[in-house]
Amino acid sequence: MQGGPVTVAPATLRLIDRGDLLAALDRAAARKVTIISAPAGSGKTSLIRAWTDRPGGPHQLAVVPVQRDQHDTQLFWLALLDAVRRATGAAGDAEPAAATPEFNARAMVDRVLSELGDARGDLTLVIEDLHELASPGALAQLTRLLTNLPPGVHAVVSTRHDLRLRLHRLRLAGELSEIRASELRFCERETRELLDAAGIALSEAGAAVLHQRTEGWAAGLRLAVLSLAGHPDPERFVAEFSGSERTVAEYLLAEMLDRQRGDVQRLLLRTCLLDRVNGELADLLTGRPGSERILLDLEDANAFVVSLDPERTWFRYHHLFADLLRLELRRRRPKEVPELHRRAAGWFIEHGQVVDAIQHTQAAADWPGAARLLADHSFSLTLGGQEQTMQSLVRAFPPGADHPELALVRAMGDLSQGHLDEAAAHLAVAENYAETAPPDCRRRLRVAIAALKLRLARRRGHLAGVIEQVKFLDSPLTGQSDEDITLGSDLRAVALLNLGTAKAWSGLPDAERHLREGAVLAREICRPYLEVHCLAQLGFASKVRPFATTRRRCLEAIALADRHGWGAEPVIAPALISLSGALVFTGEFDEAERWLQRTEQALQTDTGPDIRLLLHMVGGMLHACRGRHQHALEEFSAAEQLRSQLEGPPATASQVAGWLVATQARLGRPGEARALLAALDDERAGSGEIRNACAVICLAEGDPAGALGAARDVLDGTVPVIGYVTVAEAELLVGLAHRELGDQRAASQAAERALALAEPDRLVLPFAMTGSRELLETLPRHETAHAALRTEILDIIHGSPATERDRSSPPPVEELSPGELRVLRYLPTNLARVEIASELSVSRNTVSTHIRSIYAKLGVRDRSSAVRRARSLRLLSAGRTR
Amino acid sequence: MDPGPVRYTIRIDGHLGATMLSAFPALTPRRCGGHTVLTGLLDQSALYGVLAEIEALGLNLLEVRQHTPQRESPPPGDGRSP
Repeated sequence: MQGGPVTVAPATLRLIDRGDLLAALDRAAARKVTIISAPAGSGKTSLIRAWTDRPGGPHQLAVVPVQRDQHDTQLFWLALLDAVRRATGAAGDAEPAAATPEFNARAMVDRVLSELGDARGDLTLVIEDLHELASPGALAQLTRLLTNLPPGVHAVVSTRHDLRLRLHRLRLAGELSEIRASELRFCERETRELLDAAGIALSEAGAAVLHQRTEGWAAGLRLAVLSLAGHPDPERFVAEFSGSERTVAEYLLAEMLDRQRGDVQRLLLRTCLLDRVNGELADLLTGRPGSERILLDLEDANAFVVSLDPERTWFRYHHLFADLLRLELRRRRPKEVPELHRRAAGWFIEHGQVVDAIQHTQAAADWPGAARLLADHSFSLTLGGQEQTMQSLVRAFPPGADHPELALVRAMGDLSQGHLDEAAAHLAVAENYAETAPPDCRRRLRVAIAALKLRLARRRGHLAGVIEQVKFLDSPLTGQSDEDITLGSDLRAVALLNLGTAKAWSGLPDAERHLREGAVLAREICRPYLEVHCLAQLGFASKVRPFATTRRRCLEAIALADRHGWGAEPVIAPALISLSGALVFTGEFDEAERWLQRTEQALQTDTGPDIRLLLHMVGGMLHACRGRHQHALEEFSAAEQLRSQLEGPPATASQVAGWLVATQARLGRPGEARALLAALDDERAGSGEIRNACAVICLAEGDPAGALGAARDVLDGTVPVIGYVTVAEAELLVGLAHRELGDQRAASQAAERALALAEPDRLVLPFAMTGSRELLETLPRHETAHAALRTEILDIIHGSPATERDRSSPPPVEELSPGELRVLRYLPTNLARVEIASELSVSRNTVSTHIRSIYAKLGVRDRSSAVRRARSLRLLSAGRTR
Repeated sequence: MDPGPVRYTIRIDGHLGATMLSAFPALTPRRCGGHTVLTGLLDQSALYGVLAEIEALGLNLLEVRQHTPQRESPPPGDGRSP
């Protein structure tokens, strides 16, 4: 060991300007995608740094280094999204992207592409160390990103080996370029320049030998320069190096280490186990103060240490360098390794960095300790959106070793994906274990288990189970530490979410109160994911409200989810599907279909029967309204099938069954319909929805009198109904039966009563679903007080808003488009343009364009005359409230 | 289809010292001219682990060869060179 300087003075050891290489990268980066593929230590990162830092480099730059051994693809994508948003300056407008327990990579790529599309001017996206991304799925999504980059966006990707990116299309189009190891190698002249820049006096011949021995390998040359700096006899160093047959990296690392001061050596060896290190943590591991200064000096000397933040508090080692140091540590001081990991774990847990703490506990081979830590923190890790990380931590345990704590974590993964039976099995194991656990952690385990059982019961629609777990969680926690208080608020918010959801599912009234309280609390304790979850369920819980209220609440929840980047994730699915459903009820089928598709997209990673039941139900409603009965049958059957997987049926269960039966009948299969009826339990068989279905069967069987009898049970209140929709449907069935019986007058009266029920909330669905077109058409205009609604419904059933317009009224110059008609409906309200835009979830500009166009087509100049003219044209119903 | 552990020889450029060799505890090293030859029984996933280690340490991989004792003599072209 020699008493030399820590390192040479920083100024003398700058990266040399490798002009040829930079020019090569310039040429390459003119194409869409550049791949830099070369082995460890080839100088990929240095090249990228030099290229991006030089004057005239790309002005909008997003750099994403892939973390070591990155299994959590969500964290990778979030880092990428954040980097892009920082580069485009969009970061200020929106909440920072945060992780969620459920994650949809496809939607994330769409988001990144849309952010990139918004970039003004050229943007360069740099992804470093892509080989560390240990997920084939992520590579597939990345391929999609790279092959769809918007104009003006270029990507530079560095990797140690060629990856399975499918970029043939780019290659064929001449949009892919590559830089490989041979180009990165230092030439003899550059080796000379590197030595000169570091102030190393070495003969021409010595430099040539050094170049030959290292074969121009960048890491080798940098290690050599660090060893040679201040070396008393550089020529001898080079001669000995070239005389050795040892591998370049090993020889030079040993030389370089030996040239460092004792405290520097100690720091390098004792902190190399960490993926990132700061001064305090390094002091702890070395047992001495002053580490931060050493780290700063090492970075300034370009000695394989890189700072991770602008303040230069966190550092990491170059990967190759760290790997070599770790081997050196294990060889020189094998007994210290577990202790170093343990100390690091202790520091991380103290600083709330649970994941790092668990990883180091695992590295110390303290498997029981690691399992305990993971189980202990599983609840807050899930709420913090670290689901994928947790699952990869579970996989890191040695196979065969039985750690019952882990069952809890496995159950969480199952629940997020909607695998309810597997979740229940893992929970049972976890529960057994909790009873035998040491008392100090038994309480926390029980809480975590209760929270999971709560979630499971909710997803199964098992209200009693939910209430039972909530009662358990409601009992105050014994501890008084900060952590317990936080856990208390977290638990309360989770309890309110699940209780509210379960009550909404069962159709109970105080659901909305719980969910609203849950959302407020979640906001207070900064759990945006929980807040969005509560609001999404509130959208679902609003279904007994006027449709306009449901729509508004759903759109609010979706807007908040969008701001966080969760707009296409399972968490927002309840709001998406409820919005779609409300739109089907009011006859806005195209719009409904759009939201239905978005729900499907959001549910890619969630196969839970609860939410999928709603998806199929709304899908069936939409098909049935459009007269596609075969498709409707498939959807309603799928919904009915999922119902059987739930312990508690949703409040709408009889509705699904009723529509399923009715659809069979409408398809001309009354026999099958009756068989379905016979299989129903008594509770559902006695519901108004099923009585309506009986009426549909009778009509299909040519028995209008029977239909009248069945529907009248609904109208005279002898059977329970879900809501007024069922009553309106019954009126229409009565009307259809009277028509069959030839009593036009009674038919018209029934149709008029149905219209009266439908008017306040502009309900369209039952008219479309029951096929009441002729019933409405034969209703004389002078006999109805709801002429406008009648016209509107007929337009919707015909699928074209213009075909049924009254020929006697003066036709507008030009027909309004469906988009314009949608805007038109809001003109009688007090809503400003921006509010109309938010109601319709379109931009303000779109609304203004439509309004201009409406004025032009109607030949008016202001809003009130537009409304008058639209009314006279029967484009608007008379006095609708929205 | 993983047939189970099979004997492999892996040839690396340069002499591996004690530090580098500690990364390959399952393999027996031998020096052969300017190269190091590592030999040992590996299944497929262990083989890929070794190859990843070689990559991570910046070593220069020259050859990977599988020995199939069942056959009387390995047919030409059986060696898996990268």
